Amino acid sequence: MISTKKLPLLLAFISVQTLWCQEIQFGEVSKEELLEKEYALDPDAPAAVLYRYQNTYMQSNNGYPRLITEIHERIKVYNKAGFEYATEQINLYNGRSDKESVRKIKGYTYNLEQDKIVKSELDKDQIFESELSFNYDQVKFTMPNVKEGSVIEFEYYVSSPFYWLIDEFRFQKDIPVKQVRAELRTPKGYNFRQTQKGYVPFTSQENIKRDNRIGMDVVVTSFDLRNVPALKAESYVDNIHNYRAGALFELVSIDLPGYPTKSFAHSWGDVAKSIGNTDDYKNQLDKTRSFDDELDAILSGKTDKLEITNILFKYVKDNTEWNGMDGKSFQHGLKKTIKEKKGNAADINLLLVAMLRYAGIHANPVILSTKENAIPFFPTLDRLNFVIAHAKIDGEDYYMDATEEFSDVNLLPIRDYNWGGLLVDNENMVWKHIFNIAPQKAESMYSVKMEVDQEGIVSGNYRSRFTNHAAYRFRESLKNQDLENYLRDKESKYTGMEISEYEAKNVDSYEGHVSESFHYRQENGADVINDKIYLQPLSFLKIEENPFKLDKREYPIDYGFPFRERYMVNIKLPEGYQVESLPSAAIIKLPDNLGIYKYAVQNAANGIQLSVTFEVNKAVIAAINYPYIKEYYNQIIIKGAEQIVLSKTDNEYNESTAGSR
Amino acid sequence: MRHFILVYFFFLGFLAFSQKTDYQALNLNKALTENANAVVRVDEMVVELSALNSMNIRHKRAVTVLNEKGNAYATVYVGYDKGRKVKNIQAVVYDASGKECDKIKEKEFKDVSAVDGSTLYSDSRYKYYHYTPIEYPYTIELTYETTTKNTGEIPSVWRFLDDFRVSTEKSSLSINYARPDLKPAVKEKNLEGIVYSKDDNDKGFSFEARNIPALKEESMSPSFKEIAPQIMVRPVNFQYEGYDAKIDTWKDLGLWMSGNLLKGRDELLPATKEKVKTLVKDANNDLEKAKIIYKYVQENTRYISVQVGIGGIQPINAIEVDRLKYGDCKGLSNYTKALLNSVGVEAYYVHVEAGREKVDFEEEFPDLAQGNHVILAVPYEGKYHWIDCTSQVHPFGFIGDFTDDRKVLVIKPDGGEIVRTVAYTNEQNYQLTQGSYALRTDGSINGNVTIRTRGIQYDNHFTLAQRPEDKIQEHYKNYWHNINNLKVKTYRFQNDDSAVEFTEEVSVDASHYASKSGERLLFAANAFNNFDYIPDRYYDRKLPFEIQRGFLDEDEFSIEIPDGYGVESMPEAMTVENKFGYYRIDFTFSEGKIFLQRKFLVKKGTYPNSDYTAYRDFMKEVSKNDSAKIVIKPIL
Repeated sequence: MISTKKLPLLLAFISVQTLWCQEIQFGEVSKEELLEKEYALDPDAPAAVLYRYQNTYMQSNNGYPRLITEIHERIKVYNKAGFEYATEQINLYNGRSDKESVRKIKGYTYNLEQDKIVKSELDKDQIFESELSFNYDQVKFTMPNVKEGSVIEFEYYVSSPFYWLIDEFRFQKDIPVKQVRAELRTPKGYNFRQTQKGYVPFTSQENIKRDNRIGMDVVVTSFDLRNVPALKAESYVDNIHNYRAGALFELVSIDLPGYPTKSFAHSWGDVAKSIGNTDDYKNQLDKTRSFDDELDAILSGKTDKLEITNILFKYVKDNTEWNGMDGKSFQHGLKKTIKEKKGNAADINLLLVAMLRYAGIHANPVILSTKENAIPFFPTLDRLNFVIAHAKIDGEDYYMDATEEFSDVNLLPIRDYNWGGLLVDNENMVWKHIFNIAPQKAESMYSVKMEVDQEGIVSGNYRSRFTNHAAYRFRESLKNQDLENYLRDKESKYTGMEISEYEAKNVDSYEGHVSESFHYRQENGADVINDKIYLQPLSFLKIEENPFKLDKREYPIDYGFPFRERYMVNIKLPEGYQVESLPSAAIIKLPDNLGIYKYAVQNAANGIQLSVTFEVNKAVIAAINYPYIKEYYNQIIIKGAEQIVLSKTDNEYNESTAGSR
Repeated sequence: MRHFILVYFFFLGFLAFSQKTDYQALNLNKALTENANAVVRVDEMVVELSALNSMNIRHKRAVTVLNEKGNAYATVYVGYDKGRKVKNIQAVVYDASGKECDKIKEKEFKDVSAVDGSTLYSDSRYKYYHYTPIEYPYTIELTYETTTKNTGEIPSVWRFLDDFRVSTEKSSLSINYARPDLKPAVKEKNLEGIVYSKDDNDKGFSFEARNIPALKEESMSPSFKEIAPQIMVRPVNFQYEGYDAKIDTWKDLGLWMSGNLLKGRDELLPATKEKVKTLVKDANNDLEKAKIIYKYVQENTRYISVQVGIGGIQPINAIEVDRLKYGDCKGLSNYTKALLNSVGVEAYYVHVEAGREKVDFEEEFPDLAQGNHVILAVPYEGKYHWIDCTSQVHPFGFIGDFTDDRKVLVIKPDGGEIVRTVAYTNEQNYQLTQGSYALRTDGSINGNVTIRTRGIQYDNHFTLAQRPEDKIQEHYKNYWHNINNLKVKTYRFQNDDSAVEFTEEVSVDASHYASKSGERLLFAANAFNNFDYIPDRYYDRKLPFEIQRGFLDEDEFSIEIPDGYGVESMPEAMTVENKFGYYRIDFTFSEGKIFLQRKFLVKKGTYPNSDYTAYRDFMKEVSKNDSAKIVIKPIL
């Protein structure tokens, strides 16, 4: 964070209190708006923002600069599902020593009654403030007299002492926005860099205006967007906020007449360097020695660096518990973390770095933004929330996050694979953004040996084996599960299946692969119709439903990790039956080698052999490939539903004798 | 008696001493750890009623958490509000060997607002401490004291078990009173199977239970709250927010409510009264008036919860709701009642325990703490019509599965009365599905379906009309999850409010519905109401099971097969009848069409655990026949 001390005092300037000329005035709600029955471009929308205006500017308040944000919003409620948009929540940062506040909340609801516009005012005593979390307060209000067709309108001012931190300008909501206008006014000399995000294209205009009343030039950045569609989430999205239309601003320098130019973090390297210079990273990290004796004992006689790394990683995992808090700086510090055996992400992973360094490994922190925290978009420490450990051994990179139970060296929790990370190597003076922290391919192998009887009852032995993130995910799914409940869920997922002799191996460990096996019986496993038996060879392992339903997709598909699944199915036929027909072999490919599906089945002496491979080779697939991915699943589902037909041996014999001879 | 008490207190004192140092968790009684995620080592509450307006509660609770799932039972959390003060709050953490390893003092607790997502505002607060366990098992002991003037807020139920999969080593509740008239009434429930002792004298009473093993949850069983060993406690003479009360009967409680908390809340402005009068001017009778007003309320108000001060039990003024056009269940019910009364229609305020699970008010145990929701009863020609004013969509007189078929408190001007709400059972929960579809040679289908629903099935379907397109598509994809690649082409809904019947007309197509094997096509004829639910399997079912409402489905489908194709095989007709219900399905083929008729009845009832397998077999039989396949192939 840029500290206040580093900023030269803002010149005392008074901002203009009047709103910049707006096309749409507060209170001027038209009959047309009230009569509107649906939003033309998205008739399904329960509500729409008809107009939103945001004006953000700096102001001097008795010599103390404040960042003021004025909001004016007009919302049309089309139906009952839209009522929730009649409640406004304003989150206010509370930095404990200073905090944001909201004032001048004013609101009206407009209804059409007997062709007349009737307005109802928001009561002051219906505005409630409560604390949302340690760092946020929340002001909430809901509009009176809201019914289907109502138009609501409110405005308020948020005043922030954290004037150098400009919140993201958000232009997209989960309901459509007809028009959004926004302005940012910053005093000339305070140089903010703008970053735009989202898939909705927009531009901004920049003007320098002389403000005679304050005797200063101001930079006005303005936006005007029309018909912004609603932002809708779908499956396999890393974080929907990454794709929300918006603009971000960072203060890059201050250049005022009479003062030397003051420049702030420009590149990710600068950011890495500046956190490298904080007390935690520069001094505290290497100061604690309370673990020396213990480490000497467990490392005695060990010389292989990778082995030492693995031992220390395990040691930290076994001896500390993550308290669930993110962090790139210490919450407790190393000493207390060792003593209390718990801490935030920095406590735990920096402890690992410290121990690795003590053991002579070239280890450093890597600071990152987790998926939940979204992509940082521009170089700033504020948008990073986590730190992991990195070791370089014989030129190879090893990344470690000891906060989670099932993570391993180079097997990070999925949340960590978001944006790479910032390497903070003070010793070698390397501070840089690393891009290529990526998960390895996960392998899943399924092998089923099944037997079908003449009644269509299928019984079989199932075995599977998972590596990397497939193993991680499997371990998570089994963690703290009561076995009986777990099997009951499995049985009800695969209707009619009864499971016995269940066994899972290497589940509690985080290392290596994990495997599962059981015996099963399915009364309706195959259809017996007349003299024939029909059976889907992939049985309960087939994909039933296409996870991709939208016709069009604007953001990438995030699988978390690349994977290969292999299925080997062996089917023993019932006495007196033979194969009448088998599904054909098939290969389905995605473009650019993104994935391949192979399906092969053959009739061998000891039964029917099926072999299927299903691969997706990249963790994240660009939106442009969406139609292919969707069709890929479609084809796989169709293939999985194809049947094997078995017929009675003697009948077949009779038929063929009768027919052809 | 006297002798017993002495022994008892000595016993308690001894225990208190020994337990202070004994939270070891390595060698717990196996009977307590079996099937348990947590063991309540001690849960001890002492309530002191020193005056009508003075109650002090001391609570000590220590829980040994055996695994991550048990953490939920060891939360360090105390709720309070303006009328209830908390003091001497402290938590101590012990490791597996019973050694103290952390002590959390009052100042380390966080003090936060209890406003959650569904509430706009509440002045309830809580103090909590988030403890991160570093190993299992561990034990947390929480102690605190609360004081309040509201003796009406005496803990209304004391459960000797927390939940499924939690056992109890020792649990006790003592209530002491300064004067005999402060003595609360008590009712024991489900104590047959546990070991407990009780004591009762002119200064107080107490219950203590020990070593109760954990219960395992089983699907379709009665709710935990219903089967848990517990005692219910209710104040007889008490004070609540300054209102004195003496309650011996439900009649008393109703009188106290209408004479105090509801009194004067139903006033309206003259302009509102005029407006309502105009609204109902053409109505022929009180029932019609009530319907008009209910509709008016549904169209003009919405549910928003604001809980301030006494608001937990008292509705906000009708005038206020009229102005804001929102309120919670109490506010909206009271407002509707006021509107109804203003045009001479009688309506009563009703306390009810809402939820899909039916929970009755205790007939002989008048208690303010029972119930979590308010609805209205409109008496007309000897019958109650029930309305839920928080719903903007339910037809007049239809309350669905949220408040149906349960004993509730109807608050009338001459006192309270326990009444059972309307029940929807068996054939009343009716669904008729009629459809026809054509099968093409590529395995795709294309057809039209009409679904008519009544009763609880209506309740499950009729809100579809309010949902946006994508949610409707999603609904049908789930509803017909047996049909892959389903596309809903068109849909039309008709909601008949007065008959309480909902009609869906849907046209669909789906590729690859039938699977191809060579030239044959194989498909389940029952495409549009395929029952594939098989109840969970238990090796050793322990608890009884309940079918809370029952239903009846009838289906008629006709299936057109492609030209040049003939039926190679068709399933046999099948009828099953037993105490759980009835199932029949049959198939006929004529003139290129297959006709399917189906009837499936499941009857409401409570059955012993020994019946479970038979019930499961019935469902399996239904599922098997519903998925029975037809094979067609080209005729040469």
